[in-house]
Amino acid sequence: MLRRFLMALMAGVLAGGTALAEPGVTASTLRVGTIQDLSGPIAMLGAPIRDGMLLRFEEANARGGVHGRKLELRFEDSGYDPKRAVLATRKLLSRDKVFAFVGNLGTPVVMASMPLAIEAGRPHLFPFSPHQATYAPLHPLKFQLFAPYQDYMNAAVREMVARGGYTRVGLLFQDDDYGHEVKKGVEAGLAQRGMALVEAVGYKRGATDFASQIARLRAAGCDLVVLATVVRETVAAVSEARKTGWPVDMLVTASGYSAQTHELGGAAVEGLYGVSVMPLPYAEGANSALADWIERYRQRFGAAPNIWSAMGYNVADVFIQGLEAAGRELTAERFVSGMESVHTTRDFFGSPEYRFSATEHLGNRVGRLARITQGRWVLISDYLQ
Amino acid sequence: MRQALALLALAGVTLLTLGPDYGLGQLAFVATWAIAGLGLVIILGQSGQISLGHGAFLAVGAYLQAGWVALGGPPLVGLVVAITGGALLGALASLPGRRLGGLAFGMSTLAVALIVEEALVRFDGVTGGASGLSVPPLSLAGWAVVEPWHQFGASAAVLVLALLACRRLLNSRVGRAWRAVRDDEGAAAACGVDTAHAKWLAFAVGGGLGALAGALYAHWLGYLSPEQFGLQLSFELLMLVFVGGASRLMGAVWGAVVIVALPQLIALLRDALPAGVANLAGLELVAFGLVLVAVVLWRPAGLVR
Repeated sequence: MLRRFLMALMAGVLAGGTALAEPGVTASTLRVGTIQDLSGPIAMLGAPIRDGMLLRFEEANARGGVHGRKLELRFEDSGYDPKRAVLATRKLLSRDKVFAFVGNLGTPVVMASMPLAIEAGRPHLFPFSPHQATYAPLHPLKFQLFAPYQDYMNAAVREMVARGGYTRVGLLFQDDDYGHEVKKGVEAGLAQRGMALVEAVGYKRGATDFASQIARLRAAGCDLVVLATVVRETVAAVSEARKTGWPVDMLVTASGYSAQTHELGGAAVEGLYGVSVMPLPYAEGANSALADWIERYRQRFGAAPNIWSAMGYNVADVFIQGLEAAGRELTAERFVSGMESVHTTRDFFGSPEYRFSATEHLGNRVGRLARITQGRWVLISDYLQ
Repeated sequence: MRQALALLALAGVTLLTLGPDYGLGQLAFVATWAIAGLGLVIILGQSGQISLGHGAFLAVGAYLQAGWVALGGPPLVGLVVAITGGALLGALASLPGRRLGGLAFGMSTLAVALIVEEALVRFDGVTGGASGLSVPPLSLAGWAVVEPWHQFGASAAVLVLALLACRRLLNSRVGRAWRAVRDDEGAAAACGVDTAHAKWLAFAVGGGLGALAGALYAHWLGYLSPEQFGLQLSFELLMLVFVGGASRLMGAVWGAVVIVALPQLIALLRDALPAGVANLAGLELVAFGLVLVAVVLWRPAGLVR
């Protein structure tokens, strides 16, 4: 009885809705969804990402939209909880009828929601998750923008060794999938130079004291220490080395390439090397286009943008380029073939050139080297191949 | 009966306002969380024990089910395996209760949750470690339970069975022993109730129900990682029971309605707000907190008394 009622209800909704039209697409609007963490442990990333995306969409709309369609961003808060992410995905799919998912944040969120989006035939674009499943194996509806740890650390370590002539490379890594991915990349990069890690020391997520790890790396006689750490751990590890009078060169992954690293670390982190997959949007010394962007962001949201705002803007921008390439008649298939033809050029942020093709849905694999000089990150190389 | 009708009406309204897919997806999680809540009602409300680490039972159930299915075992048998695993862990978690009481015992259950979460990260060869593992949809006799309607049907059926089983237990000698231990452990022992056995049994039943919910959750979500089963989940379940009412079985159901559906309701209401207010970070968290405070002030013993 109940089942029959529900079936009738479902049939009614299907028949009454616009079952044949492409979801989220009308003659004058295009609706996309994003799932961010706006209240959970990484809310300080989620809010600027959303704002960056909003800013890019509003700019496109001010110029008349894309192919005459105004862009509408529907965002949901997951609180970094995959259960809420699943519900948010269902809401965006069945209620809001979004055309695509853009820039979902957080691996558990992405891994739980991506299958639903794909099953519904919706493109799943540029999630903020390093998980390989976001781009491999190749799937027509999955696109990724951000370079994987393994690939960019491989190139970065080779470049560092070539520049500094280091012979004894050590690693301090967070003992989780992030740390182990970086470790694989560093080992592969060193192997290409005929070298191996002389010491690899792990720490548990949330650790604050690195005295024993630094002592072990020092005892191993390292002349370069790679840090697979996040901001706070980076500062703690470098400070510990300096405190014990060890002036060794250190290279941190893009997770430590943050303005907070030098804001928190101060003089201790001076000279630290890092990898950047996208330059920080510093107001000071910005080119005119970047300065203008910072001002627009500040006016719109009443706060200074950070790297996450820039990444959100970037994600939305590449999505818009895909839409433009797809043409006026928009379907998921047309969008995919449009997206596969996108080769972006270097923008005013200095982000890498993203290249997609029918066989490559990962836009970028490389990063560039940076170094903290006089209290801020300064880029010291171009994107490494 | 009145409660069942109220729930049906609420489900109807949910489906009509949210549409079938989103609404049923929502209800599937409500039913699943209610099963987990039942376990906590038994432990907390019936036998008067405290479990601060209930998330561990869900974790064990979810990972056992995922592992069993990955090995090619029939999923229905997997549910039994999961329940057994959860019951065993529950029994284990209750052991410190023989020596410890009150807060100290509560801390030991918290430790169980921490140990389980850590073990899931450590034994990455089996569990996939911090990067997690994917779980295929539940399949019953070659029929894949993928649609929200099927998921809800499965969860609701299991919930009804669990409710009936629990009611039977509560009306039996075991249930009376639990209540006796809860009200006055010394008096219960003097009357010949084996208090240690009663407590142990409450944890085994609670753990088994938690694991059952975890096993279903694994299929509905399709992806497991240790961080999903952190202390936050344990506290969410505690909150569920306190809001719903720990003294009645239906408290778990109403608690699940509030805990699972409230954030979604707030998200819907937010869509109706002007953009300036709606875009405030943390708005949903604040609203969620306010509603919880209101419930506690208005009905300190829970929605169902």
